[in-house]
Amino acid sequence: MSFLQPLLLAALPLIALPILIHLINQRRFQTIRWGAMMFLLTANRMSRGYAKLRQWLILLFRTLAIAGLIVGVARPLASGWLGLTAGGRPDTTIILLDRSPSMRQQGEGQVGTKLDTGRHQLARSLSLLGSAKWVLIESTTNTPREIESPDVLLNLPATEPASSSADLPAMLQAARDYIQANKSGRTEVWICSDIRANDWSAESGRWATLRDAFLELTQSVRFHLLAYPQAASGNMSLRVTNVRRQQGSDGAELLVSLKLTREDGGQTSPTRQRGVDSTDDPSLALRASVPISFEIEGARSEVTVEMSGAQFELKDHRIPIERQKDRGWGKVSIPADANSADNDFYFVFDQPAVRQTIIVADDANAARPLQLSAAISPDPALKLAAEVLTADQLSTVEWDQVSLVLWQAPLPDGPAADAIQAFVDRGGQIVFFPTQGLTSTVFVGVSWQSWIESPDGITIETWRGDQDLLAHTQSGAALPVGQLQVRKHCGLTGEHIPLATLKGGTPLLARVTTNRGGVYFCTTTPAMSDSSLAENGVVLYVLVQRALALGAAVLGNTRQLVSGDVSGEQPTAWQQVAGPPEALSTEFAFHGGVYSAGERLLALNRGSAEDQAAVLADGRVAELFQGLDFARVDDKAGNLAALIQEIWRLFLVAMIIALIVEAALCLPKNVTQVVSA
Amino acid sequence: MFADRQPRSFLDTGALSRLAAVPLCARRPMQGNVSGRHTSPHRGASVEFAEYRKYVPGDDLRRLDWRAYGRSDRFYVKEFEADTNLRLCVVLDTSGSMEFGSTGVTKIEYARKLAGSLAYLASQQGDAVGLSCVANGIVRNIPPKRGPAHLMNVFDILEQTQPSGETQLVPVLHELAETIRQRALIVILSDFFVEPELLRGCLQHLRFRKHDVSMLQLLDPLELNFNFRRPMRFIDMEGGPAIFAEPNEIADRYQRALQKYADELLAVVLESAVDFHPVTLDESFEQVLMRFLVGRTRTKGVR
Repeated sequence: MSFLQPLLLAALPLIALPILIHLINQRRFQTIRWGAMMFLLTANRMSRGYAKLRQWLILLFRTLAIAGLIVGVARPLASGWLGLTAGGRPDTTIILLDRSPSMRQQGEGQVGTKLDTGRHQLARSLSLLGSAKWVLIESTTNTPREIESPDVLLNLPATEPASSSADLPAMLQAARDYIQANKSGRTEVWICSDIRANDWSAESGRWATLRDAFLELTQSVRFHLLAYPQAASGNMSLRVTNVRRQQGSDGAELLVSLKLTREDGGQTSPTRQRGVDSTDDPSLALRASVPISFEIEGARSEVTVEMSGAQFELKDHRIPIERQKDRGWGKVSIPADANSADNDFYFVFDQPAVRQTIIVADDANAARPLQLSAAISPDPALKLAAEVLTADQLSTVEWDQVSLVLWQAPLPDGPAADAIQAFVDRGGQIVFFPTQGLTSTVFVGVSWQSWIESPDGITIETWRGDQDLLAHTQSGAALPVGQLQVRKHCGLTGEHIPLATLKGGTPLLARVTTNRGGVYFCTTTPAMSDSSLAENGVVLYVLVQRALALGAAVLGNTRQLVSGDVSGEQPTAWQQVAGPPEALSTEFAFHGGVYSAGERLLALNRGSAEDQAAVLADGRVAELFQGLDFARVDDKAGNLAALIQEIWRLFLVAMIIALIVEAALCLPKNVTQVVSA
Repeated sequence: MFADRQPRSFLDTGALSRLAAVPLCARRPMQGNVSGRHTSPHRGASVEFAEYRKYVPGDDLRRLDWRAYGRSDRFYVKEFEADTNLRLCVVLDTSGSMEFGSTGVTKIEYARKLAGSLAYLASQQGDAVGLSCVANGIVRNIPPKRGPAHLMNVFDILEQTQPSGETQLVPVLHELAETIRQRALIVILSDFFVEPELLRGCLQHLRFRKHDVSMLQLLDPLELNFNFRRPMRFIDMEGGPAIFAEPNEIADRYQRALQKYADELLAVVLESAVDFHPVTLDESFEQVLMRFLVGRTRTKGVR
């Protein structure tokens, strides 16, 4: 039981009033000279049984009536979930709203989505609870904004569903910063989320920091989690994995590869968790034919696929397009199901741009293998260009068209460093190789150390095969990094992440953390005297081509982006080409769709993690808030019943009943006249 | 009548003149000294034929019925009913509890009115009137006598008597039963706050002595209803211990006790053939007396 006006409960001692009045009344007796004492004496000798009980009952019901009135006036709330948490009006209420696509999931047989239901529940409950100040932090921008009242949640565009994933730790961090900066007093933090694992990043180290940060706050902060953890049974999600434009002799066509994933509710998810492929079990294999519709710049086509099991992949589905159509956009969709957010996927296609590499080299021996690995195209459709320059010629480079810089010269400084930095910030990739004449110049916090020679050759001990430039191939085979021999390498100072480490611990390939773009340091050169990078060209070629592809991705006229992560773009200048009509221009970056930015076409989609339906276990959520004042309630999408209700009427009715019973008990019995005929 | 005196506070001349229309009758034969209007256990000289009786020597020859002799050749004496006066003994309870009264009139005042009026009415029809004031004993007692002077004495005593002391009605009634000559009309004015079972004995004693006993029980409405609101401390008017009571709490049991007492008393008076009249103080005394007198006319004359 919790109360909206708990201070009024201070009046509860008033329930002693009837007892006091009773005692006072006892003392205010009257004296009378009485004749019929014999009846009084007889009455006194009689059993008091019911009469005494009646007196106590009357006193009890009077007390109950006052208690009912006081409790009723204190406005009690009926809620299993507020528990003993809410109490009094907080100074600030911060609402953390998860707008991620998974929140668009509908309840079974219900119309409302989780987000809609959550907004309504919050608006209703919070209006009731009241607060001096309302702050909304929604999952796209993670910035606190003050709102007038919780009712605004129902029609604020910033509370509509978005395509970008939520980052709960970041939202909580924003809340924490707000509380600290604004000295918000007694604060309640309401989190409305479906506790998807990808949104919550429960394994992130930020949680521990956040917990400590909240515990350090002087003001009291309470957390309420309005959770919608239900899985969407049978929900299908669609993801385009690859789109290529192919020019044939008889015209052009698009090759679209896509993947369908089906959630099977409570049936297959446990087996999946145990690592058993659900499709192995025929009883769990659910056959379904799914019509997939393609829309290429407004032209629609449809293909129906037979799906059994939890996943389906369509490889290189051919869609003929006009021969002249070099670039454009498309949309793939499947029929509506439990979650409408993952039924569409947008893509853009274009003639691949020329992938240009600038090689800044002092040593021609080293530059040659680099140039070869940068200029030989792995795909006939791709055009590659590699130009060897010296550092002095950098000013002539048109950076806008460069995807990759291979730098085998003293580390840049001055204007060259600025130009390279701008290139990296724009998303360009650069790989530094050491040169003979080492300088002490520092670039992005890293500088070369002295050369180390090992004539017998050192092999590579470990390398990152899971990601980045040396990752395994798509077929899962490892790159032959272990076969490399390094005869001469250079040390590195400064902060870097080793991607490959030589025996002895010196990094061979290292990455420096940047906001965008990639800055890599390779501690040896492809020169024959230094390493077998050129001899065993596979690693060098893959490395250079992967870096080139990464650099080209930001340069092309088209770009696939993950909603919410549009760094390097100017979403304010975008024009919507396709996508949800309700998306506001200020929120384009968070809504899936196709947008044009000048000449370029951008396709925005939800992140791949959104298709994984893993929900955080209850215990895990509780662990995240360990030590904090935390209450959780599970709601269901489409739930129409209010989470909390005022039940003062109940207490007033109880009071009235108590008064009526009291009156009935007080009623004098019909006095039987002694006078007999 | 009261030319040289202050009018008695307990006499209402208007009411008395109205009540004079109804005679005070006895339910049983009375034994008076002089001729009167009440039946006597003896034969007498009234106009009402009673019986023929065989002549026995010594009978007055003037009372021989010569016609009967003519018809049957036997001597019969014709006898007539005797009419006599009655002796009205008013027993007035002057115990402390008689001082109670919540309606502006106390029981003793009410009893004075009843006693005074009855005495006057009886005196007016030539009956003898006596008065016994009793509390824990016989306080004042004047035997029944006729005549206005005696009536004045009765009135004086009525006027002077004050309630005090506890009720010892049972021994007093036994005493009176013995001391009052047989066949008198005894009217007891009291609240009868005595155990009915104890009353049974003395009533039967009175009945054995061939008295015609009437009981007028005076009760105050407050005693009947017991409608107090606040806690009360009841002080015994007869000197007993005080009782503190919460009326709400005790009213039930008080009523039960009262009802039980009333039932038992009724049983006792019915068994003892007592002319019983419960009276509440808010009733008009004239009506009470009228009811009393009229009730008695119905049962009069049984020999």
